[in-house]
Amino acid sequence: MLETLPATENAAHIRGGTKIYGEGGSEIRALDDISADFKRGQFTAIMGPSGSGKSTLLHTLAGLDTLSEGSVYIGETELGSLKDRDLTILRREEVGFIFQTFNLIPTLNAQENILLPLSIAGAKPDQDWYGKVVDAVGLSDRLDHRPSELSGGQQQRVAAARALVSKPAIVFADEPSGNLDSVASGELLDFMRTAVREFDQTIVMVTHDPIAASYSDRIVFLDDGDIVDEMIDPTPDSILEQMKHLGA
Amino acid sequence: MLRAAIKGVFANKMRLSLTAFAIIIGVAFVAASFVFTDTISARFDALLDTTATGVDVYVRPAPPETGDTFQNAEFGSIPESTLETVNAAPGVRIAEGGVVGFAQIVNKEGEPVGGQGPPTLGYSWSIDRSMSPVTIHDGNGRGPETAGEVVIDANSAKGNDLAVGDTITVLTIGAPEEFTIVGIASFGESDSLAGATLAMFTLEEAQRLFDLEGQFSAISVAAEPGVTPDELAANISATTNGDIEVVTAEESNDEQLEAISEGLGFLNIALLAFAAVAVFVGAFIISNTFRIIVAQRTKELALLRAIGATGRQVTWMVVIEALIVGFVASAIGIGVGVLLAIGLGAAMDAFGLNMPEGPLTLLPRTVIVGMAVGLIVTVISALLPARKAARIPPVAAMNEEVARPKRRSLHIRAIVGAVTVGLGVAILLVGLFTSVSGDLWLVAIGALVFFLGVSIMAPLAASPVAVVLGWPLPKMFGVAGQLAQDNTRRQPRRTASTASALMIGVALVVFVAVFGASIKSSVASSVTDTFPGDFSVQSTNIAVGVSPTFTEEVRSLAEIGDVSTLKIGNAVVEGSDTLIVAVDPETITTVTSIDVSAGAFESLAETDGILVLESVMDDNGWSVGDSIVIVYPQDPGGPVEIAGTIASTNFGEFIITESSYAVGFSNPTDYYVFANGAEGVALADARTAIDGVAADYPNVKVQNKSELIADAESQIDQMLVLFTGLLFLAIIIAVLGITNTLALAIIERTREIGLLRAVGMVRRQVRRMIRWEAVIIALFGAVMGVGVGLFLGWAVVRALADEGLGSFAVPTGQIVILVLLAGVAGVIAAIYPSWKASRLNVLEAIAYE
Repeated sequence: MLETLPATENAAHIRGGTKIYGEGGSEIRALDDISADFKRGQFTAIMGPSGSGKSTLLHTLAGLDTLSEGSVYIGETELGSLKDRDLTILRREEVGFIFQTFNLIPTLNAQENILLPLSIAGAKPDQDWYGKVVDAVGLSDRLDHRPSELSGGQQQRVAAARALVSKPAIVFADEPSGNLDSVASGELLDFMRTAVREFDQTIVMVTHDPIAASYSDRIVFLDDGDIVDEMIDPTPDSILEQMKHLGA
Repeated sequence: MLRAAIKGVFANKMRLSLTAFAIIIGVAFVAASFVFTDTISARFDALLDTTATGVDVYVRPAPPETGDTFQNAEFGSIPESTLETVNAAPGVRIAEGGVVGFAQIVNKEGEPVGGQGPPTLGYSWSIDRSMSPVTIHDGNGRGPETAGEVVIDANSAKGNDLAVGDTITVLTIGAPEEFTIVGIASFGESDSLAGATLAMFTLEEAQRLFDLEGQFSAISVAAEPGVTPDELAANISATTNGDIEVVTAEESNDEQLEAISEGLGFLNIALLAFAAVAVFVGAFIISNTFRIIVAQRTKELALLRAIGATGRQVTWMVVIEALIVGFVASAIGIGVGVLLAIGLGAAMDAFGLNMPEGPLTLLPRTVIVGMAVGLIVTVISALLPARKAARIPPVAAMNEEVARPKRRSLHIRAIVGAVTVGLGVAILLVGLFTSVSGDLWLVAIGALVFFLGVSIMAPLAASPVAVVLGWPLPKMFGVAGQLAQDNTRRQPRRTASTASALMIGVALVVFVAVFGASIKSSVASSVTDTFPGDFSVQSTNIAVGVSPTFTEEVRSLAEIGDVSTLKIGNAVVEGSDTLIVAVDPETITTVTSIDVSAGAFESLAETDGILVLESVMDDNGWSVGDSIVIVYPQDPGGPVEIAGTIASTNFGEFIITESSYAVGFSNPTDYYVFANGAEGVALADARTAIDGVAADYPNVKVQNKSELIADAESQIDQMLVLFTGLLFLAIIIAVLGITNTLALAIIERTREIGLLRAVGMVRRQVRRMIRWEAVIIALFGAVMGVGVGLFLGWAVVRALADEGLGSFAVPTGQIVILVLLAGVAGVIAAIYPSWKASRLNVLEAIAYE
C-alpha cells in the first residue's frame, strides 16, 4: 500500500504486524497485518477512531508492547528478538517518549528530568546539544523547578526536551497535547516541529486532534487495525474533510 | 457502608495480610501466656485432687511469716510429744507424724539429680498408706523398712536409669551417705510432682538425716467417719498451743496452689511483657498500613464523598475494615497462642521441668482478653488514618494534584513530640531513681511514652537522616541511588513510622546488650574486689546451700588457712519481706572485702545487731544506733540495733551475724564458703586438697576468682541470648513492616516505575532503587534504636549502680553488628517488593490509574 523504502532511510518500520487480544471467539485484533514505514527526519501523525489500533501501533513500534505476528524495527534492529534488558537499553538510547500525562518524576527537577535517560545510562550529556534543546523549548529559567512547580504546558515541554536530549533515532508521542490548552498546545507542537525541521529528529505522534495533526508532515489513518489512508502536508481543513470521509 | 467495608477488606487482602500477621503475633503471645499458666495451674489443681488422700487435717508448726517454704528450705518442726495430744482429741481415727527435709539424689555417674528448679525433697515413709499421696505400683518394690533403705520418685529413676536394688548416694545437710533403692514411687499417675525429686526413708532415718530427732515436720490426721475436717481441726486446735497450727487438708492444698500460682504469676508477667512489645510494634505496622491504604484509595474515598457520603461515614468504613481484620486476626491469634502454649510446655519438659499431664485450659477470660487486645490495638492504630480519610475533599476524585496530602506544619509535631519525650523520660527517671511504690510499672510506662515521643518526632529527622545515610548512593548507583534516597524523603511520616517499628526492637536489643555488658564489665572487677580470697564454694542446688559438714572438713585441712561462710535467708524487716545475709563478723574480712563503714563488723559482733545498706538507711531515715524490727521464719525476732552501714555490696541490703541466723532459721547450710590457702602452701596444693573434699559432695562446686568470673559471665550471656532471641521476634515483625510499606509504596509509584522503565531503566536498576530505599529506612530505624537503647541502658545502669551493677559499658562491637544486620534486614525486606517492581509490565504501569 505504501512505498517501502530501504531500511537505512527508515527510523522505524513494521511488517505484517498483528496484535491479538483474547482467544477464539472473543479475540480482538488490535492490529491486523499492518505494514508501515517511518522515514527519518519526518513528523508523522497517526489518526483514527478509538479502537482503530493507533495506540497499539505506537506501543509496538516503541518496544513497549509485543506483536502476535510480524516484525517491528527501530533502525535495523528487530525488536522481537531482543530480551528485556536489551530492549530497555535500546529504548534508553534510541527512543524518546512523550506521554499524554505523567511524564515526569516528581522528586526530580526539570533539569534532572530532562537528563533522566542519560543519567540512567550513567552518561554525560552533550552540553551544546542540551543547551540548544533547553533554549528551543524555552525552559532555561525553570531548570531547577520541580514538576509541581511547573504548569501543564511546561511539564510537557520538559518531557519533550527529555525525549530529545539523548538524540534518539525516533520520538514517540501519545496525545502529547491532549491535556493542554490551545496556547500551551501550540508551544509544544511548535517545538516538536522545530525539532524535526532544524534538528533533523523523527517524530511519530498519535492524536485525535486535527489541529495537532496539522503540524505533521504526513498523517497515517488507521481503522480496524490497519492503514486505510494517508495524507501528505496536511492542513486542519483537509484533515477534517478526511475524517468526515472516513466516518471517523 | 458495611458492605463497602467488607468488599474493601477483600480487595485489600494482600495489604491487610501483614496487618493481620502483626495482630496474630501479638494476640498469640498474650493468649499463650494465659493458656500456659492457666493450664499448669489447673493441672496442679487436678493433680492435688487426684492425690487427695485420706488426710483430713495437718498439725504443723505455726507457719513462717517470711519467704515461701518452697524456695529457701525453711522447715519448721513440732515435738514428737504432740502426737499424744493429737490422738487424745475427739474424732481422730489415725494420726501419724512425718518429717520433710532436704535430700538430693546422686546418680550413678556421680552427678546430683535436680536442684535447678523444682526442689529436691526427702520424706519419711508413712506407715499408713491411706494418708500418703505417694504410691508404689506393683512391680516397683516396697517402702523402706530399715536404715539404709530409700524409695525414690519414678521421674528421677527413669531419668537416671536407676532401679530397685541399686545403691545411690544421697546428699543431706550432713555428710553424704549411701542407700539402697528398695522401691520406686509415683505421685498418683504422675512420675513426680512437677519435677520435684523425692527420697523417702524410714521415720527414724529421716529424722536423723534432717536433724529432726524427736521432732515431726507435721502430723497427718484422718477423721473418724461422721466427723468433718473442720470439726476435727477445731477439736485438735483446742488442745494445742500457739506454736502449733492445725489446718484442714483443703486449706493446705489451697496454700500450695497459691504458692504455685505466685510462681506462675511471674512467668505470666514475663510472657505478657514480651507480648506487649510485640503488640506495640504491631501497632506501628497497623497504623502505617491503614495510612497507606487510605492514601491509595483517596480517589475512591473522594468519590464516595462526592456522591454524598459524610466524612463520618467514610471514617466508619475504614474503622469497620479495621475491626473486621482485627476480629479475624485476633481469633486466629488465639488459636496460634494455644499452639504456642503447647510448644512452651514441650520446651519446659525438655528442660526437665516435668509439668503434670492433662488437657489445655482455655478460659473465657483468655479469649476475651486476647480478642480485646487485638481489636483495640487495631482500631486505635487505624483511627488516625481513618479520620484523615474523612478529610479527603470530594474534589480529589477528579483532580490528581489535590489528592496528594499537603505537608502540614511540622512545628506542632515538634512540640508535641518533645513534650512526650520529656514526659516519658521524666516518668522513667522517677521510676528508676526514686523508690516510689510501683516503680517497675513507672519504668515500663516511662519507656513506652519515651518510645512514643521519639516516634512522634521521627518524621522531623527522616529527611535529613536520609540525606546523610543515603549520601553515597547517588555516587554509587547513579539515578537509581538518587531516587532511592529521594523516595525515602518524600513521605517523612511514612518513612519514620516504618522505621520506628524497627527502632523499638533494636532499642530493646541494644538495651539488653548494654545491660549485660555493664554487668559483665563490673563482674570482673566486683568479683576481684569482693573476693580477694582464693576459693569460693557454692552449692549447685538453688534451694539449699553447702552442707556444714563439708565446711568442717575444709576447715580441718592443713592446706587451707582462713575459712569463713555466708548464709542467706528471707526475713521480714520492718514489715517487708526481704533477703538477708549472715556472716561471721570476726572472720569474714579475711576472705572477702565487703565495703562497710569503719568498725562496722566489730560493732556487729558486739551488738549482734544488723548492718544496713546506706541507700536503704537514707530511704527510711534510719541512722546507726537505731533499732529496727526483724521477724524470722523460726523465731519472732524483735528489735535489733543497726551497728553500721554497708556502702555498696553484691550481697543485698542487710547483714546479720551467724549466731542470729542460727536462731532465726532452720537451714544450717552455707550459701558461700570462702577459703584461703594456708600460709606457705602452694595454691595448687590447696586446690587439690579442697577438691578432694568436694569430690564427696557432688552438689558443691569449688571455684577460684577466674572461674567465678567466667561462670558469672556465662550466666549473664545465657540470659542475654534468651532475651535477645525473644526480642528478635519484634525485629522480624518490624522488618516485615518495611516489606509492607515498600510493597504498598510501589503500588503508589506504579506509573513512575513504568515511566522509568519506558525511558530505559533496566530491571536491575529498579530493584536497586527499591532495595536501597529499604536499607535507608532500616538504618534509620536502627540508628534511632541505638540512640534510645543506649539512653535506656545508661539510665538503668545508673539507677542500679549502688546494687553493685557497676559502670555503664557500651558493647560497641555488638552494636555495630546490629546496625549492619539491620541494613541486611533492609535488603531482605526489599527482595519481594523490588522483584515485583522490576516485573511490572511497562505498558500497564504507565496506564495505571
